[in-house]
Amino acid sequence: MTDLLTEPLRDGITQRAILELLILAVVCGPLGVWVVLYRQSYATESIAHSMLPGLVIASLASIPLGLGAAAGLAVAAICIAAASRQRAVGADVAVAVTVTGLFGLGTLLALSPDVPVRLGEILFGDPLAVSAGDLAASAALAVVTLLALARGHRSLTLSGFDPQTARNLGGGNQRAAALLLSLLTLTVLIAVGSLGNLLVVAIVIGPGAAALRIARSLTGALWIAAAAAAFAGVAGIYLSYWAELAAGASIAICAVAVFALAMAMSRLTGRPAVS
Amino acid sequence: MQRAALEIALLAPVAGLLGAQIVLRRLAFFTHGVGTAAFPGLVVAGPAGIPPALAAFAVGGGFAALLERLGRRAAIAWDAATALVLVAALAVGIILASDVFATGAGVDQLLFGSLLAIGRGELIVTAVALVATLAAAARLRRRWIASGFDDRDRGAPGSPGAAADLILLAVIAFAAIAAIDAVGALLVSAVLVVPAATARLFATSVAGLEAGAAAIALVEGLAGLVIAFHLDAPPGAVIAVLGAGVFAAALAWRQLTAPSDVVVAGR
Amino acid sequence: MSAGPAIEVSGLDGGYGGAPAISEIRFHAPAGTMVAVLGPNGGGKTTLFRALLGELPRWTGTVTVTGTTAYVPQTERYRLDFPVSALDVALMGAYSEAPWYRPLRREQRARAAAALDRVGLGGQAGEHFGSLSGGQRQRVLIARALVRDASVILLDEPLSGVDHPSGERILTILRELRDEGRTLLVSSHDIEQAKRFDAVLCLNGRQVYYGPPGGMTAAVLHETYGGEIVVLASGEQAIVVQHHHH
Repeated sequence: MTDLLTEPLRDGITQRAILELLILAVVCGPLGVWVVLYRQSYATESIAHSMLPGLVIASLASIPLGLGAAAGLAVAAICIAAASRQRAVGADVAVAVTVTGLFGLGTLLALSPDVPVRLGEILFGDPLAVSAGDLAASAALAVVTLLALARGHRSLTLSGFDPQTARNLGGGNQRAAALLLSLLTLTVLIAVGSLGNLLVVAIVIGPGAAALRIARSLTGALWIAAAAAAFAGVAGIYLSYWAELAAGASIAICAVAVFALAMAMSRLTGRPAVS
Repeated sequence: MQRAALEIALLAPVAGLLGAQIVLRRLAFFTHGVGTAAFPGLVVAGPAGIPPALAAFAVGGGFAALLERLGRRAAIAWDAATALVLVAALAVGIILASDVFATGAGVDQLLFGSLLAIGRGELIVTAVALVATLAAAARLRRRWIASGFDDRDRGAPGSPGAAADLILLAVIAFAAIAAIDAVGALLVSAVLVVPAATARLFATSVAGLEAGAAAIALVEGLAGLVIAFHLDAPPGAVIAVLGAGVFAAALAWRQLTAPSDVVVAGR
Repeated sequence: MSAGPAIEVSGLDGGYGGAPAISEIRFHAPAGTMVAVLGPNGGGKTTLFRALLGELPRWTGTVTVTGTTAYVPQTERYRLDFPVSALDVALMGAYSEAPWYRPLRREQRARAAAALDRVGLGGQAGEHFGSLSGGQRQRVLIARALVRDASVILLDEPLSGVDHPSGERILTILRELRDEGRTLLVSSHDIEQAKRFDAVLCLNGRQVYYGPPGGMTAAVLHETYGGEIVVLASGEQAIVVQHHHH
């Protein structure tokens, strides 16, 4: 029985994958709680999709994927901001057009003939390809993100719960929104290597939504989300190892399963549905 | 090539009528989600011998129904539910495609469309989707327009029992699946959202929006088709890039001719 | 509390860009006053509050407020799904006191608990905010203003949607606060109730009247509400007919 748990751990690749997922969990979990509270799931999905051309170009030019993704995101952000300013264009339409266009562009670049881009890994992630250098980079980014979350905790609470009085109580709505968006972008950047830009949404939203179902307090939700994300990540790696399934997809499924579990648990304990 | 053009022509009115509603009622995420969620159905269909459209519709329809139920129980914010169901479907589809069915090569096509290789079966599906759209619109268009301006959280399914809203979601799901054959599961928005978004920049009435969206969808679709053929590139992606480019150009034109329309940062 | 006027406003015109939403506002409220702010929806009550908070984007004139100002908005607009307890909400009043890296100490928690006690919710401190009744939620928000030890409290329709006994309870608490020397501005639609306040401010874009409730004549009311008043047969009760705009 213990073999089930220990055998995959003997492999250096799996060890690193699990470490990476644990680092990711600690960031994506708590951030996901805020993303769900602020109703930014579509933004998360869109940020992830918009990265595609940047990732593809980086892959073609053999520069670190993170740089390509960051550049691509900057372009996307500019496009979305420019489009949102027109009255006839809502923010979500601006996002839809930008993301569709950028995703299409990435596809063109990647699928056009005689271009050796591993589209599968970019789209679906490859947690098993993480190197020691990647781990260090992720850890550093994670520390920055966590510090920023701690610093912005009260501001996020005020603006999320009561935007009308946020300023009066020492917060600021625009600041909080900008902080959330920046951290979200940073987190997606870290996670995209492991989960790919199509599946990253799972590890951000799943554990966060699960935590909100069962936690009684905001701080409790943040801790539970981190734990849930860690569980989902590690379970996904194990699932992928023993059932020989694609790793990124396994993690994504575990993340959604964690949410389903939380829903079932809260249904059993009779917690009333909140709106 | 002719069939591809016919497919586009059939999709254009759908893009017009439904695109208008999608843009006005902030259903862009839902539309994208339905298209993506149909993916596992498509993966299973081939090896299981089921007509792809049927499988896609089963899964896509399931997605819409599941969302509606989750949203109604208010168990979770609607946008989070959309994201989770969408990503779950995608993950399942990936696992089915790469590990169970070893149809890795087909995945790209499913995700990105195969407009140039479209067959009679797919055309029929699109034709049915068109008929369904026309029929629903004929009866419910006014009600859609009226409830679309309701002052509540647009983008979420309508209140339970609002049959007209549910039918709209179902028809959008059907149209999205029909569009998958043309542009792929991930780029459904290129047909159903982007032309309408472009038309909205100039339209002064809903009817104008619908007509404009249909026209733009038709032109972009055909142009994209021709360009893709000559570049030997996936048509779905070409149409998507073209659509975004046209939107950007239209936006720039609008800002030049009516700059006072720019929104000042709201309170 | 200071001896001078707690709120002094003169020549205030303000808005969000474009035409001013409020104009010609001038009044001064001494410390320890309860002022009812009356006016139709869209008449500028919330805009005035924003100006007093210093949060209005565009304004001219003079606004002087002595001491801390706290804002208590309507509870309908709240996120009832937020995982916060009544104590958590009250504690938000103390957020600006400590830097982010120092957690709120026991002293602040004790103050929050005491504030909840004060408004009669000591036993409900651990309850989920969203599951409290409208009146209870309103009282929690008042407790939050107390944690800030605000000398000026602006309340946006605290009694609308609240049943009568809870409403009376809230009014009692407000009067106690007023007796402590705090200044309260309470926007309301209830003209009868406004007559029990120390002063009344009638707004309809511009200031129609400010002074003791006795000076609130039918003409003043008419100008404030533009003929939306229905006076019941007894002649004693006037009801404002509200048109809901969407």
